Amino acid sequence: MEPLDLDIEEGQLELASEPMMLNMGPAHPAMHGTVRIVLELSGETILKADVQIGYLHRGFEKMCERGNWSQIFPYADRLNYVSPMLNNVGFSLAVEKMLGVTVPERCQYYRVVLGELARICDHLICNGAMAMELGAFTPFLYFARAREVIWDIFEEETGARVTHSFGRVGGMAKPPSADFKEMVRAGVPRVLALIGEGEKLLLKNRIFLDRVEGVGRISSADALSLGWTGVCLRSTGIPYDVRKSHPYLVYDRLDFDVPVGTSGDNYDRFMCRSEEIRQSWRIIEQALDQMPDSGPVDLTDPRIMLPPKEEVYSTIEGTIQHFKIVMEGIKVPAGECYSYTEAGNGELGFYLVSDGSGTPYRVRIRPPCFASVQGLKQLITGQMIADVVPTFGSLNMIGGECDH
Amino acid sequence: MATIKIDGREIPFEQGDTIIRAAHRAGIDIPHYCWHPGLSVAANCRMCLVEVLPPPGRPAMSLDILRWDAAKDAYVPEKKPKLQPACQQGCAPGMEVLSESSPHVDEARSAVQELLLLNHPVDCPICDQAGECRLQDYWLEHDRKQKRMREEPIHKPKAVVFGPTIVYDAERCIVCTRCVRVSAELAKDPVLSLRERGNLGEITVAPGRELDHDYTLMTEHVCPVGALTSSDFRFKARVWFLRSARTVCQGCATGCNAFLDYDPRNNTPYRHRPRENMAVNTYWMCDEGMLSYKRAVDGRLLSALVGGDDATLEDALSAAKDQLKGHSSDPSKVAIVLSAQHSNEDNFALVTLAKTYLGAGDLYVSGRPLGRGDTILMSEDKNPNTRGVMQMASTTPPRPIAELLAAIDAGAYHYVIALGSELEVDANEAKDALAKLKGVVTIAAHDGPLAKSAHIALPACAWAEVDGTYVNRQGIVQRSERALKPRGEARPGWELVARLARALGYAMDWKKLADVHRAMAPEAFAHAFTDRGTDKGADAASDKAPTDKGQPDTKAEVRA
Repeated sequence: MEPLDLDIEEGQLELASEPMMLNMGPAHPAMHGTVRIVLELSGETILKADVQIGYLHRGFEKMCERGNWSQIFPYADRLNYVSPMLNNVGFSLAVEKMLGVTVPERCQYYRVVLGELARICDHLICNGAMAMELGAFTPFLYFARAREVIWDIFEEETGARVTHSFGRVGGMAKPPSADFKEMVRAGVPRVLALIGEGEKLLLKNRIFLDRVEGVGRISSADALSLGWTGVCLRSTGIPYDVRKSHPYLVYDRLDFDVPVGTSGDNYDRFMCRSEEIRQSWRIIEQALDQMPDSGPVDLTDPRIMLPPKEEVYSTIEGTIQHFKIVMEGIKVPAGECYSYTEAGNGELGFYLVSDGSGTPYRVRIRPPCFASVQGLKQLITGQMIADVVPTFGSLNMIGGECDH
Repeated sequence: MATIKIDGREIPFEQGDTIIRAAHRAGIDIPHYCWHPGLSVAANCRMCLVEVLPPPGRPAMSLDILRWDAAKDAYVPEKKPKLQPACQQGCAPGMEVLSESSPHVDEARSAVQELLLLNHPVDCPICDQAGECRLQDYWLEHDRKQKRMREEPIHKPKAVVFGPTIVYDAERCIVCTRCVRVSAELAKDPVLSLRERGNLGEITVAPGRELDHDYTLMTEHVCPVGALTSSDFRFKARVWFLRSARTVCQGCATGCNAFLDYDPRNNTPYRHRPRENMAVNTYWMCDEGMLSYKRAVDGRLLSALVGGDDATLEDALSAAKDQLKGHSSDPSKVAIVLSAQHSNEDNFALVTLAKTYLGAGDLYVSGRPLGRGDTILMSEDKNPNTRGVMQMASTTPPRPIAELLAAIDAGAYHYVIALGSELEVDANEAKDALAKLKGVVTIAAHDGPLAKSAHIALPACAWAEVDGTYVNRQGIVQRSERALKPRGEARPGWELVARLARALGYAMDWKKLADVHRAMAPEAFAHAFTDRGTDKGADAASDKAPTDKGQPDTKAEVRA
């Protein structure tokens, strides 16, 4: 060892100037999702970042090619597993587009309400986790409590709290329960109250604001060229929302605003999500008012729908219908289509190819966060290491849909 | 050529064609139950009704009907065109037919379908036909409604044993009489008939008789619903799990084209279905052939035998090397036995070994003994490739096995290298004769008399486990596809011949089937492997709608 007899002036301590390589993730308690980031650091400043995805790859697209069309819903649940209902609705709409059918109005409203509830959950957890990653653990608990309320509603409606598999081609698995509207009308205000309390702890907190404002900035031009959609794009000031730009279901009948940010930093993404939760509540209120209390939810075409179970057991026609749908699957006309909806993270697209049989020939998904994650490198380069996880959190990367 | 128009599409027809036959040839499917291209016209199911437009300037034939008008809450008089059964109505030049495009036809098909299901039991879950049933397919295509009748359906006998091969369920029967016509027209044994009328109608066997002619399984094959079921296939498999390979029946020299339906999950064959080939078997197969699929599994030689005991293939090959030691000093002491049971490829490999490497020129042929034949399909020669073997060595045709035994008695041979396991001579006599030799090696798929009397037997693949070509009695070279994975230790026959050659020190380096085909005269055999794309796809309407991707071989192969 060299003796410490170097003549060093005070304040001029010389340290090795070689950058340090640091491996974050893929499995680390502080990481937000299963992803690996290889960082090149100078001190605590990030010089280079290499974001590597694929640690949650399940072969979703390939799996879809072996069952029939209806058997994809459980897989779709596990794409963005924070808001499975939105994936279910998105996939139903894609297959219905191929079939050239539209579900009854009651079902469209039902899908809108369930979808917006899922969107609230998605945004809540993203914001809560982001705060937690900055050390604010308490708001996360408020937000998780709020999500509990919505999950109770989902449990009542679908029988499951997280992975509902509730979508069906041509309808939903079950019609709305008798108390559906009351439950939602009573539940969501409670959710908003809890969110309000949680946000009070954050939005006037100097530490929180200092840590998010101006961190992870991106220009709208860059966001567009990266293919960003959803909140991440809107935070840069571009008001692109599939629900407004290309309305589906009954969104064109509902009055809501698309909140946008100005600078595309973590603060804007946080605030856009926060405001979108309120807009979702506006949508839900209107949709509940307009939604018919009775009437069909599902289509009746026997080529698409399963018959009522009692008919399956007692009539030959019901047995045949059941048999054809279950054993051979819904025959989707040969062709291809791209169908897209606004999911929790942005534009969730399904590109489907059918060869006319009961089994999909190809299912390609356009997961919104796949595009967002490719911008992460740009966001964190030049930032401090402590900002990596909250910035990553604000993009809301969900491995289930990103690693498709 | 004269044409008719179906839904605006012009299609040609031949003199005497009915609408459905012209459409069938053009690949247009007009739904039907009772019509079959190989049987006479019954026109009793009424599913194929079409609207035939009147000749120009003539009024349409129409019927006065009453139609329910919901708005007026009353029946109102109306007219509707008289529909014609497409299976019975002959074509006339310029005739215009509406099938899919006529609402009246739509309505009629829906009504017929509703009628056929009026008394149908809720049997799909326990019915062998489910998955390839016309009632299921047409209900979804043409009806899609619950029936309006709310009465208890008529009950009729179930699980009636018609004979050794067929079980009948009268409740599922739609009385299309296809089975009656198969018995009368194909088998020339009118043992089935119809009794009662209307919804009491059912098929019955002639008093004092059983359904026991040679084509009983064809009655099941043509049944468009699950009324007739084969006792062999009954409750054995669900058809949507089965895959089909396009094979050639091994039962006799006729070489009927077949689908071998097998379950890839357990590597088990479940049934034969005839495959349409107008040059060979038209639409049919005999019972013996239909049940011969079992030979892919039954009586197989699954491991090598040395002196009657199981051995590994390596041990058997080295034992063969020891036994055949000394063959090279006098090649005339080696007798080669080809097999009419094996494919051209296997036999060609053995001929190549004999002529090119061993220098042995004495060829014999073994096979199963003659059996019963008829004038319909069954051949007395129960070997699928007799003609192929005879052509294999055209200068010195192989001699029958009896002459080999005589020659052995005369001391002409010390060694026998054989293919196959069957002998048309007495098994004990053969065993005694072969026991005198220094070395007897056979390559056999089954544990037959030749495999038992050989000193060393190598396990070969059965026809269902390899691609191969066979020459039928007409001289048509036909390809049989691989369906199953080899059972036990079995390897393709030609591969075993090549390995035996290598064990004996010869450079016979065939590794793939393509190597064999390259060595074979390509003009004679290889084309059977290249004509796959030229098949005519018209199986859909012929009978049981194929669930597989298979297409019939209607193209007559080049005569070798």
